[in-house]
Amino acid sequence: MSRIQIESASKRFGEVTAVDRICLDIEHGEFLVLLGPSGCGKSTLLRAIAGLTPLTEGRIRLADRDITNIPPRDRDLAMVFQSYALYPHLSVERNIGFPLRARRRSRAEIQQQVRDVAEILDLTELLARRPRELSGGQRQRVALGRALVRDPGAFLMDEPLSNLDARLRTATRSELTELHRRLRSTFVYVTHDQVEAMTMATRIALLDHGRLEQVGSPTEVYDQPASTFVAGFLGAPPMNLLDAQLVSRAGRLHAVAPGVDMPLDIAADLPTREVVLGVRPEHLSLTGANPVLHGVVRLVENLGSEEVAHLVVGDTRVCLRGQRPLSLAVGDAVGLHSAPRHAHLFDRASGRRLVWRDDHAQVPTAPAELDLPAS
Amino acid sequence: MTDSWQDPRSRRWRAVRGHAVLAVLGLLCVFPIYWLYATSLRRPGDVYSLSPLPWPLSWQSYADAASKVDVLGLLGNTTLVAALTSVGQLLTGLLAAYAFAAWEFRLKRVLYLAFVGTWLVPFQVTMLPNYVLLFQLGLLNTLAGVVIPTLCSALGVLLLRQHLAGFPKELLEAARMDGRSSWTTLWTVVVPNLRPALAALAILLFVNAWNEYFWPAMVLRRSNAMLQLGLRSFMGTEGDDWGPLMALAGLACLPVFLLYLVLQRHIVNAFVRSGLR
Repeated sequence: MSRIQIESASKRFGEVTAVDRICLDIEHGEFLVLLGPSGCGKSTLLRAIAGLTPLTEGRIRLADRDITNIPPRDRDLAMVFQSYALYPHLSVERNIGFPLRARRRSRAEIQQQVRDVAEILDLTELLARRPRELSGGQRQRVALGRALVRDPGAFLMDEPLSNLDARLRTATRSELTELHRRLRSTFVYVTHDQVEAMTMATRIALLDHGRLEQVGSPTEVYDQPASTFVAGFLGAPPMNLLDAQLVSRAGRLHAVAPGVDMPLDIAADLPTREVVLGVRPEHLSLTGANPVLHGVVRLVENLGSEEVAHLVVGDTRVCLRGQRPLSLAVGDAVGLHSAPRHAHLFDRASGRRLVWRDDHAQVPTAPAELDLPAS
Repeated sequence: MTDSWQDPRSRRWRAVRGHAVLAVLGLLCVFPIYWLYATSLRRPGDVYSLSPLPWPLSWQSYADAASKVDVLGLLGNTTLVAALTSVGQLLTGLLAAYAFAAWEFRLKRVLYLAFVGTWLVPFQVTMLPNYVLLFQLGLLNTLAGVVIPTLCSALGVLLLRQHLAGFPKELLEAARMDGRSSWTTLWTVVVPNLRPALAALAILLFVNAWNEYFWPAMVLRRSNAMLQLGLRSFMGTEGDDWGPLMALAGLACLPVFLLYLVLQRHIVNAFVRSGLR
């Protein structure tokens, strides 16, 4: 069992707070992806788990053992580095066997285990080669093999696919998912690529400025983003965010802004309130009874199977994504439709998601409340 | 400007000029060495001759040198001293540079500057205290006395730290994750990947130690146990014995020359690119 518990972990570099009081409980067998833009603290957090960067505050437990002050080599964790960090002077075989030699295993045992791992990763043919004679994908597999051979409590991976070309990345993604399923081990995986996160993770932890913005399954973080940051980070193009006012009209709430009048599924009579309205580009369409957004087309992008239209609504850019052809031309004035259930509301000041409870829209304070669905 | 670069005639003219300058500089560098060997190969009576070719050739000077001093013994002693000095400097330099490059500790910058600062202290300042210390330890007139005070060199630390600063940090971290201690990481990961730099530095330090004259002369006083000191045997109040002097000096140059030929590839590697990657 290798549950990883991170308790109120902080890391400060002088004035800069790279990791800010993060609490995270990673269950045994999870594939947890730490996702965020560069500089959000995700790599620092991973390095803290590995023991390469000491924490300023907080504790880390592995399988209920406090490992906060234990050196990396005694932590029972294996790491795959972004640059792969293969030893240039050693053959593939000796690279993979390196951790076992460091632990003084017998020669025969090392050889057997290296062969087994090479078999799994399809590296048997390459065992005699040096790293510089390998392609990027092969190097990546060797780095994986070096982690695998140790049979560690958990795997830590720091953007292991970012040096591969697009096609290889897609292939390796499914291989990693397959490997995780087969090993039933704990994976902690750092990336800035939302596609990697959405496709591989069992849970995603989104970080921004060292803070944990949201933790949840890929479906949860995509369908119920906890903040404007999460909403604006996930999706390609990401969620449209418009400054709007929440007004009650005839006993029903509407989100209103220049060019926007979106009725919501909430029957209530509330004082007017400043909010941010969010709608995903794929939830906007050109057909329907009553248009909720009015804008002018500025650009149409062809993605092959789909098209993305960029419009200006009021003075905000709004994207619409739909099957090709959308039959739009630059300069067209169009009305866009969307179902009320596709509207996301966020507090203007804090950026946190607003959920409907009882008869008041409230700003949730504790993260646990964020996942409550709007009734 | 781009036009003159693209014009083949002006480009060739530039190349010719460049090569001419290099050729003249090369000749200037080589000439004294040539003259050394030329003089050593003249007949004893022709030593003061100014003819550019030593003709007829004669090995008489080498025979004279061999009869007056124990050439092989001197060569052995000098090799021993130079080897011990350079290995010692390499080892201390490697350990210090590794600490400075791979570890974080308090006052790291200050300590490093202090280390480098010792380079700026002239030899003449430390010479007398070292001499007195050697006298008290009873090491005067011994080869150990020549070697021990020179076992640590700021130059070695400086150069190796530069190389180690460019060493991929992730390799060191990977070794840490893989279960190596700092000490075993140094020997199993750092040193094998630093071989070109170490070879280049080894040669540099060896040549430095080989060419040292003043310090051995002080410690060994009147005995002429090293090649460079053996040269003194041919300098006298009534004039220098140029033929054997040049022969011995020529012999003294040979080992360094051979070393350079053998390790040249490493030296070029280390100085042109860092040798890593």
